[in-house]
Amino acid sequence: MASRAHLRISNVSRRFRVNGGDLTALDQVSLDVRAGEFVTIVGASGCGKSTLLRLGAGLDVEHDGTIEHDGKPVTGPNLDRGIVFQEPRLFPWLTVERNVALGLENAVFSKAEKRDLVAKQIALVGLAGFEKAYPHQLSGGMAQRAGIARGLVNRPDVLFLDEPFGALDAITKARLQGELQDIWAREQITMVLVTHDVDEAVYLGDRVVVMSPRPGRIRQIVPVDLPHPRARTSSRLASIRNHVLDILNSTTSDDLPKMAAKQPTSQKRPVAKPGPVQAALHNKSAERPLFSTTEI
Amino acid sequence: MSIISQDVSLAPAPNEVPVARRARTSINRRGFRRFAIALVLPFGLLLAWWIASNQGWLPEQILPSPAYVYSTALEMIASGEIFYHAGVSLRRVVVGFLFGALAGLKLGMAMGLSRRVDDYVRPLFLAFAQIPTLGWIPLLMLIFGIGETLKIIVIAKGALVPMTINTAAGIRGVPESFVEVGHALRFSRLQTLRLIVLPGAAPSIFTGIRYGLTHSWTALVGVELLASSEGLGYLLVWGRQMFWLDVVIVAMIAVGVIGFLMDKGLDVSEVYVQRWNDREGE
Repeated sequence: MASRAHLRISNVSRRFRVNGGDLTALDQVSLDVRAGEFVTIVGASGCGKSTLLRLGAGLDVEHDGTIEHDGKPVTGPNLDRGIVFQEPRLFPWLTVERNVALGLENAVFSKAEKRDLVAKQIALVGLAGFEKAYPHQLSGGMAQRAGIARGLVNRPDVLFLDEPFGALDAITKARLQGELQDIWAREQITMVLVTHDVDEAVYLGDRVVVMSPRPGRIRQIVPVDLPHPRARTSSRLASIRNHVLDILNSTTSDDLPKMAAKQPTSQKRPVAKPGPVQAALHNKSAERPLFSTTEI
Repeated sequence: MSIISQDVSLAPAPNEVPVARRARTSINRRGFRRFAIALVLPFGLLLAWWIASNQGWLPEQILPSPAYVYSTALEMIASGEIFYHAGVSLRRVVVGFLFGALAGLKLGMAMGLSRRVDDYVRPLFLAFAQIPTLGWIPLLMLIFGIGETLKIIVIAKGALVPMTINTAAGIRGVPESFVEVGHALRFSRLQTLRLIVLPGAAPSIFTGIRYGLTHSWTALVGVELLASSEGLGYLLVWGRQMFWLDVVIVAMIAVGVIGFLMDKGLDVSEVYVQRWNDREGE
């Protein structure tokens, strides 16, 4: 089990400069993820869980301490480390098929192999029949399936998921959690999933990493010693969930009233592009004058 | 391998049906109604014109009757005169627009991609854009004479300004989160530009093309008014000097119709190129 890829995070700190002051998003965090393991990270907003995920994926490299993947230091994004964002971040001008294929843009496969992999991946996430659909034609759940397919299509060693189901309704969310668990079991890909949903963390994780905010630290790592696939109704699962909730409450109750400050990295940017009209309006207000049509 | 949990299946749930496959049966009827509505004002105007000339509110030399203008139009079509002048104008506009739009695309991309280029160029550019195209003609005339070069430059300038500003704004408007996806997938700068930035900026660039063509067209007529011996603008001046207001009106209608058709053509091609962009407004 330990022979395959392995993610080792040791003594990692990350500070952001916010309004001239220093904000410690992560403070001396260490975490080892075994190959093939499903690790979930849970915590209140501001605990640095997304920051930790971005560091692990190599999207952010400004940190103290060391992060190693398969024995090599993480110095940037790599195709061996896939990532799925909370918003699916599909490109609206590409079909589902071509969005997924972007994950293979820089992979060394032949055209035919890429086509096969894309088709296989789309089928795996249950989107067969929607290959030619554009993102605006998809529901939120379907769009996130496509996002997961794009993250998986290159068969990464590790897949990082940043609150992938956070924006979905409860029913869709439960379905996708179940399917993600199936995919994980079938494909043997190490997964690290960040969430603020304790049920989700306990249902999916082999281990649940509980983090506490200000500064972001790992409070406790709770093993979930139940075989997959799991029944949501299991009483063992319920007691572990209550245990995790207790830890979370004990870490946040003293400063519960003031909601944690958002981290700079986790700010959601609007995904929608300005259309021609907005663009024109925007021009008008921002860089007057546009030019009137009366001009010749 | 049979590790599929019981409470989920792999097919999308009923609540996940795609939202865009709506019945579109009523769209043709709606399209026809809108077409009919669009004709109300032109016909109203025509009626007002007819009444005005019939009642003799204005002297006939100034406002010829619709019937007279119509027969002049038929004459000019039959003789090919109107096509000759329209052809001259169109050729100028195509050449000038291509120069201006390409230059605007490049400049706008440079400004959109580089903060530094933008900081250097934008203030001067905006001041430059403030000067109406017509205002450039006296100076340009002294430098380039009144030949084709002058016209091409003036037309190109008409396209350059909207093209530059809209391209830059479009590139700036591409969400950071999209660029980050490219980063995570290890896209090179060129891949990011080709696969993310340019497609993302496309709607705005298209707006620039449309504005640019409209401006080129109006600039063309302007420059032909001042310095030309052929083209639709020339026809306008010549008709006025001869006091042939019927010719003037025919030329005006030709300018309007051609401009309208160019814009409409771009609209159609824009919808086609951006099929992904759901403009029906669900």
